[in-house]
Amino acid sequence: MDSMAKRLHEVRDAIHVFIEFDDDERLIIDSPEFQRLRNIHQLALTYDVYPGASHKRFEHSLGVMHLAGRIYDVITRPDKISDPVRATMPDPSQNDHRYWRTVVRMAALCHDLGHLPFSHAAEDELLPDGVDHELITWKIVHSDAMLSIFNAITPPVRADDVGKLALGPRKAERLRLGVGFTPWEAILAEVIVGDSFGADRMDYLLRDSLHTGVRYGHFDHERLLGTLRVMPEPAREDKELDESGTEPVLGCERGGLQAAEQLLLARYFMFSQVYHHATRLAYNTHLKDFLKRWLPGGTFPVDVAGHLARDDSDVLVAIKQAAADREAPGHDPARRIVTRDHFKVAYEKRAAPKDGRANDEDHHGDTPADVEALARAAANRFGEDLVAYGAPPSRKRPPDFAVRSRDGRTSEWASGLSDVYLRLPESPDAYVLADATIRDDVRRWLNDNRETLLDEARAAKIEESEKGVS
Amino acid sequence: MNRLIQEALVVGLAHRLHANGSWTGETHLQKAAYLLSELRDVDLGFNFILYKHGPFSFGLRDEISAMRGEELLDSVVPNPRYGAQLMVTRRGQDLEHQLQKTMQRYGPDLDWIAEKLGSRGVMDLERLATAMWMTREHEGASVRQRASALVRVKPHITLEDAIEAVEEIDALLGERSTARPA
Repeated sequence: MDSMAKRLHEVRDAIHVFIEFDDDERLIIDSPEFQRLRNIHQLALTYDVYPGASHKRFEHSLGVMHLAGRIYDVITRPDKISDPVRATMPDPSQNDHRYWRTVVRMAALCHDLGHLPFSHAAEDELLPDGVDHELITWKIVHSDAMLSIFNAITPPVRADDVGKLALGPRKAERLRLGVGFTPWEAILAEVIVGDSFGADRMDYLLRDSLHTGVRYGHFDHERLLGTLRVMPEPAREDKELDESGTEPVLGCERGGLQAAEQLLLARYFMFSQVYHHATRLAYNTHLKDFLKRWLPGGTFPVDVAGHLARDDSDVLVAIKQAAADREAPGHDPARRIVTRDHFKVAYEKRAAPKDGRANDEDHHGDTPADVEALARAAANRFGEDLVAYGAPPSRKRPPDFAVRSRDGRTSEWASGLSDVYLRLPESPDAYVLADATIRDDVRRWLNDNRETLLDEARAAKIEESEKGVS
Repeated sequence: MNRLIQEALVVGLAHRLHANGSWTGETHLQKAAYLLSELRDVDLGFNFILYKHGPFSFGLRDEISAMRGEELLDSVVPNPRYGAQLMVTRRGQDLEHQLQKTMQRYGPDLDWIAEKLGSRGVMDLERLATAMWMTREHEGASVRQRASALVRVKPHITLEDAIEAVEEIDALLGERSTARPA
């Protein structure tokens, strides 16, 4: 028992009703680093498409802490830990267990501290090479202000542990942080930022669904939470005879499969309706164009102090001023945002035919690279400032996940159990966007010349690629 | 490395592994790509970290995902008891044929690695790739020292199996200078 019990505080939340936090967590929440998230829109300029989508990273981060803590409590319940994975996990009665619970909630709270103004809308091109918002998160977690909070906790929380779980192995690899993950740490990172059942993903789907009004982004997260387990990884091939040599993974019980399928569908609907909405992608383009012209040197500062000094409110004021001043840097994209003169869809990625001809040489659908090539060709013909390629920055498919059998003795892959997983459609997510006055001309030109343009682009790309190969 | 070449090499590796009897799931492709870079100096441009089942690249995972979206690879489930297989599509085959210079340059390296690893199961590949990792991490260390380091990060692997894996890596490293084309 702690010598002095921590006080619990609570706050109302649109998704989770009440979110509780203790004195230590309150120190983080009250810090300027965390309070800044009150001024970072969760979905950038999406509120120009879905008026309700004006929620912020602040409440999302609280929600992720809440869900991550609940997942931790579920997967470490003594009656839910099976023998094959027991050695991986800390003894629920020991200090280690309490330490990792603290770290998980702290990491969940801190996971978005490095977000730039307007979240992901313009990140790729507005930071120097090798830097992304997670690196800034890592720096903030290791800043003097945060270290003083972590060190005052009993027992002290290691900033590296918070940073590792907040970023996860994917970002640690990309940023070459030189940190490794034990099997237990890998599972805890999955709890927060995992592609299948991460608290981050669950909270943003639920919260974005609520605020945009896109109701089919909802899923039965209570059921899913209750069925999450740490389990041996299922067999990956026919040579794997038993579970003795596998590493533990985060999965769900068989009884949670339908809730997991619902999450997959929620993800699909939210991506096709909201995150990859063509008008949202057009606004992202205008925002990025504005920021590149307005920011000194065309990039955001990456030092902690410079980062903390900027949020959406500065950018919104600058957009308003630039829109009113023809001479201001970034006037045109700012004007497009303020007057809603955004680019329109001139071409949308074509799907392959669904009648079995998809593998025929002449019946391919478009790839995102094809659409990008068409956008480039149209920009060359109609003007760089009048045409853009609109696509989300990443296009990850949901990974396969483990499901524990009803008798609790074996794990299986969702791909072997779920037709929903296997047949999950992809949203149309790549567009040629154009100024409204030339949109019809661009559309006609692309449709008339598509085959020739794509053949030329592919041939040029192959020739260019092989130039350096000897 | 240029992305188109990267994609052609991943396609080439997947189809050769499959032709050599591999299940060709993601783990097989991950470990083969890592060992290709270490044993044949063919760097596909991915970072690897010590993670699940040894060296692992999220960059390669994302690339596989993107290549499925571009219809270069397809994920199929021939038996619901096991993980998915990654199969090269018609479009993937076309890409390999189109990049003739690339395949002439790197084809022998892909053939070599596929011949060595195609028949190996995931557990074998995990041991071998982690043994390779430990060999790089502990340069000059004895077989037993590297095997012990392997067992520390992968406690489900026995010391005996770890020693065997490190010895095999040493043999493969010795072989590579003689196996490379002039």
